[in-house]
Amino acid sequence: MKKYMFFGLMMLLISSCAQKELITRDAQYPKMYEERPLTIAVMPPINQTNHVEAKDYFYTTLYTPLCEKGYYVYSPMMTMEMFQAESAYDAEMFLEGDLSQFRNVLGADAAMFTIIKSWNRNKVGGSLTAGVEYILRSTKTGETLYHREGLISLDTSVNSNNGGLLGALVDLAATAITTSATDKVEAGRRCTRFVLSDMPEGKYGLNYDKDQKMAAGSSYVQAVVR
Amino acid sequence: MKKLLFLGVCMMALASCQTQQTLYSWYDSEDATYTYTKRGTEETLAKAMVQYEKVLKSQKGLRKAVPPGVNAEYGYLLCKAGKKEEGLALLRAEMKTYPESEAFISRIIKQLEK
Repeated sequence: MKKYMFFGLMMLLISSCAQKELITRDAQYPKMYEERPLTIAVMPPINQTNHVEAKDYFYTTLYTPLCEKGYYVYSPMMTMEMFQAESAYDAEMFLEGDLSQFRNVLGADAAMFTIIKSWNRNKVGGSLTAGVEYILRSTKTGETLYHREGLISLDTSVNSNNGGLLGALVDLAATAITTSATDKVEAGRRCTRFVLSDMPEGKYGLNYDKDQKMAAGSSYVQAVVR
Repeated sequence: MKKLLFLGVCMMALASCQTQQTLYSWYDSEDATYTYTKRGTEETLAKAMVQYEKVLKSQKGLRKAVPPGVNAEYGYLLCKAGKKEEGLALLRAEMKTYPESEAFISRIIKQLEK
């Protein structure tokens, strides 16, 4: 028995050590280190799904994960009004266009674009699967500084540990309620946090200018996040 | 052998319990702001303001500093709610804490002072 346990533990250790070829952040995102953007304007998401609400849910969820990465991020609540007034609420127009006006008006070094490609929720099972592409473009050179895409399944189910069939039914009902309203905002935030986890840190991050040799993820990531 | 196994399991348990500390304390400000922007009622504004106060006054994050944009957002909402002087002071505080915000914030201040 002991032998089996030891063998199992060794297998676990070996499998966790097995690595794909490591890509460092400076190799994956060299322009981030060349330009070192400090200020980021969050562009309204480009929604390619039939879920109209996805754009709204996603817009505000980009702010805190980017701040936590050490960047100065303009408040989306305040820029939104300006974008609407300047007819810039449709970010499609700027995805490949000139971004110098965001530099002149806001002082932004870079603009973060997001394209929501899929948004599926399962009310009963409590899961939400979001496919989102993140593109950070320089307002100075127009170049893409950071690019990553994720297909993230978020488990939003409620598990109260209520025992028995009745408990499971109560959980099921609670799950159906929580997958609506602000829960989807939290889901969007977790998706962003997960995908942007390998983004080089900005000036206010603890690893600013120290993360060049840290691992970068693959440009397409698929995961389940709880 | 048993001791080794126990140690291994303990190490794994500890590693999984580690929580990542954040640069800033956000409290419920994100949800409160989102709800206010969606509904725009007096009640949701009051709730958002309570959260802004918390973020401004009780920073337990690693930087011990107010997060980017919070002074500005709160100041902007105060101006809109009629507390212009208080609001403008916060907008100026944003520029002082984050000089890189000056281009945008000074523009907002000019609009509000009109």
